[in-house]
Amino acid sequence: MDEKELIRRSQAGDGEAFGVLVERYKGKVFSLAYGFTRDRVAADDLAQEVFIKAYVSLSKFQAKSGFGTWLYRVAVNHIKDYLRKNKRRMKEIPLEKAGDRALASSDLGPEEQRLREGEREIVQAALARLPEKYLVILTLRDIDGLSYEDISGILKLSPGTVDSRLHRARRKLREKLTGRLIRQGGEHGL
Amino acid sequence: MDCKKAERFLLRSLDGRLDHENRAMLQAHLENCPSCQKKDSEYRKILSLVRPQTVPEPLPYFKERLLAKLKEKDRTAPALFWVKWAHRAVALSLAAFLLFGAAILLFRPQEPREVSQTERFLLQDENPLGEAASILDQKKAEDRNMMLIFASVGDRDLSRRYRP
Repeated sequence: MDEKELIRRSQAGDGEAFGVLVERYKGKVFSLAYGFTRDRVAADDLAQEVFIKAYVSLSKFQAKSGFGTWLYRVAVNHIKDYLRKNKRRMKEIPLEKAGDRALASSDLGPEEQRLREGEREIVQAALARLPEKYLVILTLRDIDGLSYEDISGILKLSPGTVDSRLHRARRKLREKLTGRLIRQGGEHGL
Repeated sequence: MDCKKAERFLLRSLDGRLDHENRAMLQAHLENCPSCQKKDSEYRKILSLVRPQTVPEPLPYFKERLLAKLKEKDRTAPALFWVKWAHRAVALSLAAFLLFGAAILLFRPQEPREVSQTERFLLQDENPLGEAASILDQKKAEDRNMMLIFASVGDRDLSRRYRP
């Protein structure tokens, strides 16, 4: 069925039509939430909440942007609220300690895989310490792989601002990681 | 090209947003700049680590769980609507009661006050001199005196007036 028709029927309270939209977009919304939380259960809860919010405010959707862009915007705003409420928990692992668990663990398999896991943990800890606007743009671009145009629509920013903010975010992340990955990984160059 | 510009180009190249000409310029700079070479490899490494290795699927029955929640929400929504309106009705009733009370206090009718004779004359538009003139018009001094005495007693009980 045509997406416009599905939206129109969902706006009229047709749960079945909304269910079709959920099937189409649940993967993307879940993946976005997972990119921020790296926790399957938390991402699932967030994705459910995003769809409930979208259903409740569907009457406000005026098709000025695509449904996907609008839904992403609802999702990003909801996840931002979640991150603000859980700021302390997200930064629980000190950057200096990040990666230690993976590196110390003996049941992760080959040495290379253990090192890689440790490095991922370090990068995650550094990401969690970035200012929110940098975390959001890095997640949308470098984790979810959205295009500049999509990010521009979701965050309501000009493409030029997306470009400059993304570059600043990557620089900040690199600054936070300089020294950390050298100490942990040794031969990996950072 | 300086290193600052090279870094800008480098970041753009990570997204494949660098045109052929600028890519060639960046390449030429990188070949002669170990510092920018290091930055290039660092950025590429960070990007590869930022992405999760695998993104799991949502938990089972995602849609079914969601639709059940929405159904529950729809079911409780009218009740919540009335609860909300009941709260508003209580608040409105209280406000109306307070306004009514204030209005009664402000505009309550004043208690009747004892009116003096002069005021009564004025209110009834009577001429106070009319009665005095009729007394003074009496020819007999006795009648005149008696009428004066009764007038001074008061005029409430007109039946007790002396009428010659």
